[in-house]
Amino acid sequence: MLKVENLCKVFKNKKKHKAETVEAVRDVSFECSPGEIFGLLGPNGAGKTTTLRCISTLIKPTNGNVYIDSYNVLEDGKTIRSRIGFLTSDMKLDGFFTPDYMVDYFGALNKMRKENIQQRKEYLFNELQMNDFIHKKIDKLSTGMKQKTAIAISLIHDPEVIVFDEPTNGLDVITSKSVTDFLKKYAESGKTIVISTHMMNVAEKLCDRFGILVDGELKELGSLKEILDNNSSDSLEDVFFGYILPPAEGEVNHVQ
Amino acid sequence: MFSDSLIILKKELKRIFTDRRMVIMLVLVPLIMLPAMYSIMAKMGQARDSDIASFRSTICIYEGTGNEDVMGPFIDALSSFNTSLELVQLEELDAVKQAITDKEKELLLVMPDNFHESLASCSTFDIAIYFNSTADYSDYACNRVIEALTVLSEDIVRERILERDMSEEVLSVFTINEAPIQYDLAKKGSVVGKIISIILPFFIILYLLINSMNVGLDTVAGEKERGTLALILVNQVDRLSIVIGKMMSVMIAAIVGAASSVVGLIIASKYFMGMFGASGAAISSYSMSSIHILQFTIVVIPLAVLVASMVLIVSTYARNTKEGNGMMMPIYFVVMIVGMATMQTGDVPPKWMLSTPVFNSLLVLKDIFMQDAAWSTIIAASLSSVVLSAVFIYLTLKMFSKEKILFRI
Repeated sequence: MLKVENLCKVFKNKKKHKAETVEAVRDVSFECSPGEIFGLLGPNGAGKTTTLRCISTLIKPTNGNVYIDSYNVLEDGKTIRSRIGFLTSDMKLDGFFTPDYMVDYFGALNKMRKENIQQRKEYLFNELQMNDFIHKKIDKLSTGMKQKTAIAISLIHDPEVIVFDEPTNGLDVITSKSVTDFLKKYAESGKTIVISTHMMNVAEKLCDRFGILVDGELKELGSLKEILDNNSSDSLEDVFFGYILPPAEGEVNHVQ
Repeated sequence: MFSDSLIILKKELKRIFTDRRMVIMLVLVPLIMLPAMYSIMAKMGQARDSDIASFRSTICIYEGTGNEDVMGPFIDALSSFNTSLELVQLEELDAVKQAITDKEKELLLVMPDNFHESLASCSTFDIAIYFNSTADYSDYACNRVIEALTVLSEDIVRERILERDMSEEVLSVFTINEAPIQYDLAKKGSVVGKIISIILPFFIILYLLINSMNVGLDTVAGEKERGTLALILVNQVDRLSIVIGKMMSVMIAAIVGAASSVVGLIIASKYFMGMFGASGAAISSYSMSSIHILQFTIVVIPLAVLVASMVLIVSTYARNTKEGNGMMMPIYFVVMIVGMATMQTGDVPPKWMLSTPVFNSLLVLKDIFMQDAAWSTIIAASLSSVVLSAVFIYLTLKMFSKEKILFRI
């Protein structure tokens, strides 16, 4: 069970000797249960990546906390990291190594025993259909193969919670479908999955519950039906654009 | 903690030493480049020397007026080596000088008018030799002519002494170090070591830094650039283990690179230094005892750790490898200046140098090559490197806890 509670993150920037603060995330709260996929939607700069980094212990919340079961990111960072798998789509794995070696390496960094790494590797390579290219250098792989490698790396230690920043960004439709199918299947096995995306079609197909984040604030939270009912809309995309596009003349914007 | 660092270290070393391009750059290039450079330099030098020596120089002579009867011995002296002599007239002098400037002729000797009178009265006269110092043939001919005329001058003095029924011995007041005994009281090995000590410490720091930069900037800045640093941080390994593992890999790569350059230098010295004359031949016979190799290791390893930790701190701060390279440039120049400054120090370097890390290590390395290093200075230099490395590692670790630096938010 993942619980984000009143999460705030403020960054301090020094510009020409003037201290400037940027509130990247403001009082964000949501929960995600085992077996559920939670989609954090928002335009670029909305605070999605910052929220996911706070969940993954990469950065510390300024206020609020993130809980996984009874553990929180401020006090139990190491335990949280053992239960979490973090992945971001803008990551470029070192092309010199093979997927097989990289998965072994990250298994070792997660303090797994060799036989456990081997078992887990076999499962992931089969599930992600990677066996044909696990001994090829990452440099020689397609974008989809690289993404599958990154997924295998982040799941090698069988985490309970998966945090995935833009899972289908830059992927072709076939690879994108195989990634979303895999995530669905993985959630069905009782894992908690949080993804961030700005692609509404991906979110609608994949996620059970949603949060729409705009300028660091969570504007909407709930299932697809709840959000559509609340906004008297029949499309998640319309609700989303209602927050980020200026209203047409005579129309009232959600933000207002 | 150490086992976690080992996981990181093993991966980084695999990255470095199984990458063909990296191995070529780190190990093979310095190993082959230095002997190749020395052999080419030696061969070119030999070819140049033999070409100059075999070249027939054109030497122009203006005899001056009234000297026709006394020019014989001068002409004979100048004919003693490979020359073509041309007698020129007063009005031709400017044209000949221009030809020397244009490297068409090698030398012009201008004898003073009526110098036969000075010869007869035993008074001094001046011979002008015009040459071109930028032309190898002219420069060589000038030296040979001065040698020949000096011998001629001594012969004339000898004749004058004999004409006066005096002994030739009056020409020599005393001799110096004529007996066949060892006058140089320097320690065995330190004479040749002194020549080596001028250049080798500079090479060592240069290669330690270049190799650390080649490898070290990618280890953190490269991971930041690729976005994989976050993946490593969301793991069970603590940040100190990551820093130590990465630092050790940079250090090992730097040492391997520096060692291969030293081996390259040794090969070059053994096989090609003999071609550079007597001092070169002496260098090729230089060897170090096991105790000096141990002293060398005690100084070089902490120095490599220091350089590696210095590069790692830059690599951690930089957004990407390109920025890291830019940040390394001032450090690179400072280290170069330090290396060159230690080449110029006398027997007693200033105190501040002895207490400054890197400076003191290079000075101790000089002493080790001269086989004259004191254990106290070796330990002090190594300790100062270790302490400064610890400070750098601490600062790197601090940076690893700064979100702003790690993710450049």
